[in-house]
Amino acid sequence: MPEQKKPELRRSVTPWGSFSWGYSDVGADIFVGLGLVLGAAAGASNVAFLFAGIVYVCIGLAYTELAATYPVAGGGQYFVLRGLGDIFGFIAGWAVLLDFTIDISLFTWTCVDYMSSLVPGLSSSLHPWSHFGICTLLIVGLCLLNLVGVRESTAFNGVVSALDICSETAILTLGFLFAFDPHLLVHTMQVSWPSADMFMKGISLAIVSFVGLESISQAAQETQRPASIIPRTSIALILTILIFALSYSNLALGMHTWHAIPHDAHGHAQMLWQWLGNDENNGKAVALLAAQVPYFGALAAFYVPILGAILLLISSNSGVFGSSRIAYAMSKGGLLPSIFQRVHPKFRTPVVSIVAFSAVAFLELGFAAIPTLEPGAARLYAHWFNGEGGLDFLADLYAFGAATSYSFVFIALIALRLYDPLSPRKFKIPFNIPFKVRGERVEFPIVGVVGFMGIFAILLFTLKTHIIGRIAGPSWLILGIIIYLIYRAQHKLPLFRSKKRDWRKEQVDILRNAGELELMDEYLANLKASDARIAAAAEQPA
Amino acid sequence: MIPLRFVLAVLLIGMGMVVLARVVSLGIHPEIFPGVILGAAILALGVHRMSLVLRAWKATR
Repeated sequence: MPEQKKPELRRSVTPWGSFSWGYSDVGADIFVGLGLVLGAAAGASNVAFLFAGIVYVCIGLAYTELAATYPVAGGGQYFVLRGLGDIFGFIAGWAVLLDFTIDISLFTWTCVDYMSSLVPGLSSSLHPWSHFGICTLLIVGLCLLNLVGVRESTAFNGVVSALDICSETAILTLGFLFAFDPHLLVHTMQVSWPSADMFMKGISLAIVSFVGLESISQAAQETQRPASIIPRTSIALILTILIFALSYSNLALGMHTWHAIPHDAHGHAQMLWQWLGNDENNGKAVALLAAQVPYFGALAAFYVPILGAILLLISSNSGVFGSSRIAYAMSKGGLLPSIFQRVHPKFRTPVVSIVAFSAVAFLELGFAAIPTLEPGAARLYAHWFNGEGGLDFLADLYAFGAATSYSFVFIALIALRLYDPLSPRKFKIPFNIPFKVRGERVEFPIVGVVGFMGIFAILLFTLKTHIIGRIAGPSWLILGIIIYLIYRAQHKLPLFRSKKRDWRKEQVDILRNAGELELMDEYLANLKASDARIAAAAEQPA
Repeated sequence: MIPLRFVLAVLLIGMGMVVLARVVSLGIHPEIFPGVILGAAILALGVHRMSLVLRAWKATR
């Protein structure tokens, strides 16, 4: 009887699908991040976005190189596992899992916030139970959509991503043409520069606007010809997101409004950025900004909340997809129980991972919603967390998870350049220092060091300025490490060292499964040449 | 499809150059830095798109 083949993830993600998976995740971040950053970094919001954006470009380049070299599901977690070993791979993966589950709850939350612009009955402050109920229904719906399969989800993402790119381009182009005043921008930056603490908080929130490139590498195992497609889609995505984030922040600081801005609670006049960044409006800042674009704003006021809500919903969808894929990859790597790699026999999707991490997202949603649902809990939050509410809780954790995992990815990038120079890199980050290690030519990535310094600084800013983030984030990591150690002890696996793996064989399998046969041949030739060189060196008399 | 992508790439390159020119015309001081990076990013995206279009065009000839 022939051996029955274990179901694997199918390769159905096209170039546009790969781009839209990334865009639907990271593109929606600006809808959440703009208001939060304006509220914290004030007149330096564009500089905060610039700082985070430069770090994001380094992250994007690192992910592009690594995902094209190792096109497997798992993304950052897999790269860290391969570069630094099991325990660090687990920590990075666990931090990414936190981000993806927060992605589900945070974007579902803000999706309903945007909808509440048109349907006031969904407002979290006025009708918290209906807000919470709709969020829950959305999470359940996305969970079911992902169980059915990636092809359907990719088509859904692709259409909405295309609509959103057109819409955002229209808002920004018309805003810059008809309402932007560069002198007002310079003036706002000079008179509204924030304190150092608020600037650091603004930068750590700005990184929230750039989280999600992970999705492209998460989908690598389901992408056709990943080593060729991923560099193309990643670079376009990195630049598109950077342009949108810098454009929105510059526009918000230097735009003359079409309508008068309402006075604040104390009756004082406020500037556009103050109005967008206050607690009442920071959840729907993009929609309010779009409504202030002359003439076009009349139309934008109606459709941008809808489009924003849909984009935020598909970002939540990316969270369901990403968390299930990374849990699948971690389970395959012996970092999580094998139940997480169980694939649905009909739909070939990781069914247990999808359900489990959607449930975690629901718990996070509940924790974020408690202060609005229960006044007693609101008093506790005010006492312990300095009044930070649901949105702050989710954003804090999002920034913490991203900064932690990206820090490890940069170290893994450097380690893999040194320890695995033979794997063909179809895309290589520019600016490298070449030298030789054990007779092999390696290239030390300067961008990796710059990126690590940047993201590590953001991690420190997050711990310094986010009250909930600095408690809940490390607690999540400690919980994960405990689960990891128990699992490893039960299965008699090394606790702090790594399992023995044949990386050479695994790399050949990865490239063969990806359909990258030319790269596989190149890799085999590199191995042969390296082995011959080592043998020749061993035969030489001392 | 390729001509449309070519036009899009040209538009992006043009827009990047306009942003750079407009920002630099304010004078050289720290406040223009985010604008300079914005213009450079638009220009880079246009060049990236143009390189893909040219590659696709060569492949179809």
